[in-house]
Amino acid sequence: MVPKFKPSPLRIRSFCTKTVQQNPHHWPIKQITKTNFNESLSEIKNHISSSDFIAVSLQNTGSFSSPWHRVSTFDTPETAYLKAKFAAERFQILQFAICPFKLQASKVIAYPYNFHLFPRDELKMGMPSYSFTCQTSYLTAMAKEGFDFNTCIYDGISYLSEAQESTVKVRMGNPMAVDHATKSSSSPALSVADTVFIERVRSRVKHWKNACTDSDIKTEALVTSLRKIVLGGEQFGSRPSMTIDVCSERQVQLVLKMLEDFSDVLVPLIIPAKGGGTQAVRAVLTSSDEDKHLLKRELQTFEFEQNKRVRGFREVIDLISASQKPIVAHNSLNDFTFIHSKFLAPLPPNMNEFICSLRLAFPQVIDVNYLLKDIGPVKKMTNISATIAYLKNRFFAPIEMEIPNQANENEGKIHGHNVVKICQLFGKLCSILKITPDAIESSDDFLASAINRYANIFYSLPGSSQEPTNEEIRGWTNDKRKVSCEDVVFLWGFRERISAGILKNMLQGSHEVFAEAFNVRMVDRSCAIVVFGKPGLSNTFKNVMNSKEVSGPLREMVSDGLKAAGYETYQRVCSSGLWESALADALDKALASHNCLSEAAYETKQSEIYLSNELINLAEL
Amino acid sequence: MKKRWPITILYRAFSSSTTSTTASFPLKHVKKSNFDSALSSLRHHIQAADFVAIDLEMTGITSAPWRDSFEFDRFDVRYLKVKDSAEKFAVIQFGVSPFRWDPLKQSFITHPHNFFIFQRQELPLDGAAYEFLCQTTSMDFLAKYQFDFNACIHEGVSYLSREQEDKALKHVNSTYKDESLDSWHSLKEIRDTHLFNIPDILFAERMKDRLSEWLGGLLRNRDEGSEVQPSFNDSKQQFETIFFKMRPAISLNGFTSHQLRLIQLVVRKHFKDLAYLRVSGENSCSQNVIVYIESESVKKMLMKEVKDEQKIDAEMSIKASIGFRHVIDLLSSEKKLIVGHNCFLDIAHIYSKFFGPLPLTAEEFISSVNKYFPHIIDTKILLNSNSILQQRMKKSSTSLSKAFSVLCPQIALGSKSTHLSLQPSVKVEVEVDDIRSSNWNSGVKHEAGYDAFMTGCVFAQACSHLGIDFKQQSSSENLAHNEKLREHVNLLYLSWTNGEIINLSTGNRTSESLASNKRKNHYPKILFECIVIVWGFPSHLKAWDIRECISKVYGPTSVISVYHVDETAVFVQFSRAEMVSKFLDLKESLDRNNDPISVLHPLAKLLEGGNTCAASYETYKEICSSTVSKVLFADQAKAVGIKWKTKLVESSDKTKEHESLRKVKAVNSDPSCGERTKNKNFDDVSNDSSYSQLSSDEIIDSFYTREAKQI
Repeated sequence: MVPKFKPSPLRIRSFCTKTVQQNPHHWPIKQITKTNFNESLSEIKNHISSSDFIAVSLQNTGSFSSPWHRVSTFDTPETAYLKAKFAAERFQILQFAICPFKLQASKVIAYPYNFHLFPRDELKMGMPSYSFTCQTSYLTAMAKEGFDFNTCIYDGISYLSEAQESTVKVRMGNPMAVDHATKSSSSPALSVADTVFIERVRSRVKHWKNACTDSDIKTEALVTSLRKIVLGGEQFGSRPSMTIDVCSERQVQLVLKMLEDFSDVLVPLIIPAKGGGTQAVRAVLTSSDEDKHLLKRELQTFEFEQNKRVRGFREVIDLISASQKPIVAHNSLNDFTFIHSKFLAPLPPNMNEFICSLRLAFPQVIDVNYLLKDIGPVKKMTNISATIAYLKNRFFAPIEMEIPNQANENEGKIHGHNVVKICQLFGKLCSILKITPDAIESSDDFLASAINRYANIFYSLPGSSQEPTNEEIRGWTNDKRKVSCEDVVFLWGFRERISAGILKNMLQGSHEVFAEAFNVRMVDRSCAIVVFGKPGLSNTFKNVMNSKEVSGPLREMVSDGLKAAGYETYQRVCSSGLWESALADALDKALASHNCLSEAAYETKQSEIYLSNELINLAEL
Repeated sequence: MKKRWPITILYRAFSSSTTSTTASFPLKHVKKSNFDSALSSLRHHIQAADFVAIDLEMTGITSAPWRDSFEFDRFDVRYLKVKDSAEKFAVIQFGVSPFRWDPLKQSFITHPHNFFIFQRQELPLDGAAYEFLCQTTSMDFLAKYQFDFNACIHEGVSYLSREQEDKALKHVNSTYKDESLDSWHSLKEIRDTHLFNIPDILFAERMKDRLSEWLGGLLRNRDEGSEVQPSFNDSKQQFETIFFKMRPAISLNGFTSHQLRLIQLVVRKHFKDLAYLRVSGENSCSQNVIVYIESESVKKMLMKEVKDEQKIDAEMSIKASIGFRHVIDLLSSEKKLIVGHNCFLDIAHIYSKFFGPLPLTAEEFISSVNKYFPHIIDTKILLNSNSILQQRMKKSSTSLSKAFSVLCPQIALGSKSTHLSLQPSVKVEVEVDDIRSSNWNSGVKHEAGYDAFMTGCVFAQACSHLGIDFKQQSSSENLAHNEKLREHVNLLYLSWTNGEIINLSTGNRTSESLASNKRKNHYPKILFECIVIVWGFPSHLKAWDIRECISKVYGPTSVISVYHVDETAVFVQFSRAEMVSKFLDLKESLDRNNDPISVLHPLAKLLEGGNTCAASYETYKEICSSTVSKVLFADQAKAVGIKWKTKLVESSDKTKEHESLRKVKAVNSDPSCGERTKNKNFDDVSNDSSYSQLSSDEIIDSFYTREAKQI
């Protein structure tokens, strides 16, 4: 969808006090908690719909527990995704900053909001999350910034993901109106038992209905109520209703079909069973056609209100998703795995499914890191402020930040600056890359196509190249040399606290495969990767390691516990979730479980084909 | 229908809410800033104390619903669950309340301390980041009682376990032992890699010139006996002449790390009488200096001196980060009587946080705990196991706050109402920061310090009811050795749910006998060899359906009970042990054969969907011992790496031999035992049959209670 670039800034500015702030610490960012969430929603909705882009930034309780869990340069997109997935499933989002913004000439008009989240189990169903992990270093760092944990935990906004919401609906057992989908069109062939069942129910319904409608005229109140008890009548709101127990989905259909005969006054509702399926059908008696419509509307508003309560913060995510605006992020793989797992559904087992699923909700995601790549040989910057400073020194691209004042002055600490910095950085990058602002004025299509170019890159995450189809591994630093995963061997089982240099020295004389150029890098303290310069040597080496012919210094090292495995073992570690704290342990486990599996041979074959397409960019080793 | 989920976790076992008032109870809150002073005063209080009451607040109790405490927990499984909880969750508040009998005042004096603790990664240690789990319901519970999370995270006292300290010290030792070796290697690398490009070479040359200029000046000045020339200090102050250990030296400022490495290289290569050192300067930031030295031996000496100093510094910083563990060490070394309320989990937390990783088995754990804390008393056991106290408690619940209000009404309501009760009551005074008070407003939420105080009061009152006269008690005598207490010391509830008690000094396990009449659900003794765990069955099947399904095959009395572990798993308790293997064999063969007979088999309903797995109780234990915690049991089993669908009890060879035979037997629900079982354990079988006769009443009984519970 093409973003709309026909802004009407005048209208907005007319009722906002204009503040142009360059000092990040004075940026007025609206802080939102449970108390002011509902009242802020409509305002946010307006800002989202009038914006060009929406920047997002998350503050999580942690990222990676062990050095090797961090997404690194030797990761393929797939393993990077699996690592991000592991983190997203365990850690929690405490702050979610969003900033709908507009680009005008060299000016960014931003409306930043910072939401404080806490996964409160409001329905006592173990949702949105039963538990979550915190990393002390993250909490300590947040504490240093003056983060108020009490506000967050006492007053954070809860939420449910889309997937959780649908389970909750079933579990809460709210009556659902029958839509045409639930009614099967073909009338089933009736067995004798069915006919008996229908007739019995029909006569019950008839008696009950007559009792209800006739009562006020003929009989006394006492008799009526007694009769109602006998006939199993009850109240649904202010209307009389009757519950018909069913034993199977077939009976549900039969009952619904039968109730059609009474469709002038009876509205059938389905009462879901707690474990899924249907528990009963409830017929509600209405007095007239208007009353019938009224009932239907009541049911709708009831459901709507309840959903709103249950969804909590996800309301905002739904707004962003519905707006179909391009989303600007800084660390998109990390952020969007979190967003997917907390607000959409549990993360799928692989990258492709993840991207498909995410695309449905957020068609355009732009990572500022990829815009940066177009500028030149910029190292991957993890820190936004550093990146902004770097660009400031190299390019003349002043960006004016305008934040129409929203924050209450009496509020305490202001958090969520990152999201405004992302807007600022994005503005700068657009201006440097000449995507905007002139382009905005002249042609929407140009910008749209330009943005699309970057938006697509997200989906090849974290590949560095611009061809999204080609799966590659990102470069380590500056070196553009690409290395196939086939040439990478993981080594472990050496003494701890060894340096890459020493290890390389040790390897150099140990075997003839190390006569050619090769590089060594430590992954964590327990494990190193060796990259062979010449194709095929890695296989020779792996074979040597596994054969009896291993001799000389290498034999000595193997006897001391040295082990080696190819990239496919590492991939298996990630895909089977062997997140041990030391990579060496994880690789050992993967090898052990691999050996006892019969389907192993098949797996390897597959991954080998897969591997040969993959390349890594190598840095200086 | 009984539902086990969502499980509403009460934060501390079964405590109901305390009445809370806003007025504060005199409690010493200890944070980072006042820790040192608080520790030194606490030291005296603990040394003088008769007993010390403790209490902990954690970030959660169970990492997954199926890890909750069940009646079906065998003691080893129970320990694994406690272990998992203690390993995953963090302790954020620690209450310590030392009680001392004051013979002059004829009352107890206590000093309730409320420590906020939060472990920070203060040492530059390698490897895994410190992390902990939070259970959302527990956090919510704490929030309900206005727990101050900011005080905890911002200002909590950090700590280091003994094991972490040892590791850090070892790390320091090894670092300073082979540093010379390492630095040689790293230098070699520098030589290999960095002097290829022109800018580096030029920079190195420039540095070489400047260093020789400085050295020349220095030598000249020394000969002339004048001061070091100040002119050398350049405008950018990159080279600053200083004295390092009484030797002339240059302090290097404002260089990049790459440049520093180049300088280091130049020094090594070209200047025999200069030494490059990295030392930690003031404000703990590191400083790079080049020191003038006369000879190799002097250099060695200097290097050693610097190294030793650095080592001492590093060791000092390790000692400094022990933090809150000093309190635990104190409790342990003073061998005081520790009093807690339902404190098995608390003890496990203390062990894993302040000593080291929890042992794999309950037996090892118990013997180590007994070494660290020779005397522990659990007030919950005390109240439940003594008939006098039971009477006093008037059959009310033994939750801490309840016990406190029943046993110590005069304290709970504040001393204003001393004459409220007729029972002899122990007087307790509170002293905080040298201010004594015997008059306070009651009740401060679920704060560890206050809970510890309540525990201590309950214990003191209980002792008095037991006939312990504090006036007669000499201060030198350890309360734990009092003969009236002896039978209660070191008994802890391994599991409150099934009343299993463990003796820390002997390792013996007993089931609660006296108080069992108070329990609502009276289960027959659970035979774990009769239990099968089934998971991954169709989600619409409930306990009743599963019972019916299995009963169709083995007869109506075959299944004693079906118990939901969570929505994806059940325990099926058979009436006889051999039915376990029969059931598993049958399931396995049904899984394998997809013929019409299998499809029509009564069990097919259970196996629908093809994901149903079953195994014996041992597998449940195995799954509990995993460090992974998925919310649903079925997911957990997958995550643990279980790929089979049925784990047979016997070796698979035998199973195949008898397969067809047994299948027929199973369908006929033949009550005679398979020959394997006979061979294996004759005694077992005979006992078993007698059991099934003798306890048939019990079985029916339990059958009904179960049903009543389910409906």
